[in-house]
Amino acid sequence: MRAVFLRFALRNLARHKFRSTLAVVGIVIGVLAISSLGILGNSIKLSFSEAFSAVGNELVVHPKSESTISEKVLREVERASGAGSEVIPVRQRTELVDFGAEKKPVVVYGLRSEDIPLLLELEEGRLLKRGSSNCLLGSEIAEEHDLNVGERLRVGTQELRIAGILKERGLGFDINPDYAVVVEAKAFVRLFNASLSAAGKEGYNFLIVRVNRLEDVERVKSAIESRLNKREKRVSVLDLKRLMESFNEAFAKISTFLLGIGAVSLLVAGVSILNVMMMSVVERTKEIGIMRAIGTSRAGVLRMFLYESLLLGFAGSAIGGVLSFGGGFLILSFWMQQTSYLLASSSILCIFFGIAFGIATSVLSGLYPAWRASTLNPIEALRHE
Amino acid sequence: MNSAQPQEAVRLVEVTKIYRMPRGSVKALDRVNLSISAGDFISIMGPSGSGKSTLLNIIGCLDVPTSGEVFIAGKNVSKLSESGRTRIRREKIGFVFQQFNLIPTLTALENIAFPMLLRGERRHEEKSRALLRAVGLSEELGEHKPAELSGGEQQRVAIARALANDPEIILADEPTGNLDTKTSREIMGLLKALNERGKTIVVVTHDPLVASLTRKTLRMLDGRILSDGGATTDGGETDSGATERKTQTF
Repeated sequence: MRAVFLRFALRNLARHKFRSTLAVVGIVIGVLAISSLGILGNSIKLSFSEAFSAVGNELVVHPKSESTISEKVLREVERASGAGSEVIPVRQRTELVDFGAEKKPVVVYGLRSEDIPLLLELEEGRLLKRGSSNCLLGSEIAEEHDLNVGERLRVGTQELRIAGILKERGLGFDINPDYAVVVEAKAFVRLFNASLSAAGKEGYNFLIVRVNRLEDVERVKSAIESRLNKREKRVSVLDLKRLMESFNEAFAKISTFLLGIGAVSLLVAGVSILNVMMMSVVERTKEIGIMRAIGTSRAGVLRMFLYESLLLGFAGSAIGGVLSFGGGFLILSFWMQQTSYLLASSSILCIFFGIAFGIATSVLSGLYPAWRASTLNPIEALRHE
Repeated sequence: MNSAQPQEAVRLVEVTKIYRMPRGSVKALDRVNLSISAGDFISIMGPSGSGKSTLLNIIGCLDVPTSGEVFIAGKNVSKLSESGRTRIRREKIGFVFQQFNLIPTLTALENIAFPMLLRGERRHEEKSRALLRAVGLSEELGEHKPAELSGGEQQRVAIARALANDPEIILADEPTGNLDTKTSREIMGLLKALNERGKTIVVVTHDPLVASLTRKTLRMLDGRILSDGGATTDGGETDSGATERKTQTF
């Protein structure tokens, strides 16, 4: 029986093809907006999580009251962190590297040979031994300038032999080795501290504290802070996990905002459906009176008109959903130069969300006009026209 | 003298209908008492404003009286809810209107089947075809929309629709108002045939020719029934007033 009334609804929509088409277009645009913006927001989040290799159980300790971290402070941090953590001191400076065709400033890290395997992974070549004056190259640097193991690289005033090339690690809050050169700690002091001014920039630039158990991160953080910052703030301790969380929060806000924009456009489409359906109800006042007179219940009339807005919603949402794939593709290739996120399950979810929202909007918008139709007084309605 | 009490199709007891208008109240029906037996074929005549349409609406459960009671086939419908009255309209009553009032987006057959679909009738296709034949229309006309049919054909479809759920009572409000004389006669003939098959038919008309084709005529004026052809089953319910000859022309 329902099929008959659905056909009836379809015929009534076809009575005013132009008007119905416009209403459908409105929903298509609304669904497109929500889906595409949802995909965009989601892709931004995905690309950031991919780019940032955040290690949840790391703390980064930066010097605050002084310019570098002394050996004394290092030992205090080691003692505060306790046995369940590793403290990795890092030296860092920027040097001009001669790539032949161009000279570019590049970050150089100085790491103890025993710490290097804790932080970095080798793509090819060998890691650095204690005291070695060779260097390791980050993946991006090696690729961009076509450098290989065994070649020599001019870093600042020094010429270093490339012992190995590192695997791509992504952006990090601790270190960013992809576009950096890594040198052994003792060699670092020997090669570069010589060129430092007498202001005595010795010491470490920052420390990475690896906490073995995730649950201990908070405890170690407060231990370090309470031990070192008792009288004055000597160090600042960065909790990477907390940082990622606040980033995710920010992205969630951006996503919500984008979805809000999409929702507004869908709301407008809903208003247009409301308008179209109200016009339909008014035009068919007498017809409604006839239907009620021959025995159609109020609920029956409501359902008949609701079917019409449902059909509009289904058509618009289906078309909008299909077009969202194309729309998402365009937005991603334009904004992010990368379209692989389109196929992520969370992106596909955005499309279904958009479709569901489109149908819901149509049904809700059609509810009031359908209700109005159902509550018409049959006798007055028959007198209409 | 009645050997057996014929069944009562419609009974109105002290029915009054007052409309509240911005300029004051209008008494459309004034303590009307009426009894229509099953199988009656009556017409109701009266000038505009006499309340005949209101009377028809009340009999047809489209409207409720302000006071008084209405019985359809013995059941008190004035106590029914809106959905209850809708059900009566769906199952027990068939309407025929002056302007035919067919649904323009449906074909003739679909119009006829509509009330059947409201009840979930599975055999609506064959039944509507049978009704189309019964009102004297060809099968192929069934696929046409009302706009493609003549006035007479549309009214026949309307009558077929009124018969869709096999109601006991047919109510016709000026059924020949939009038709020429010849077609009017045909339609009235159709109604007569239906009456002969047991349907109770009430026709509201201003056309004395049409009234003369029915078996009884009631006259209304100012919300009261002036005369009743004397066919009430229980005495003492007729309104006072002189009986008028049915053939009197206006």
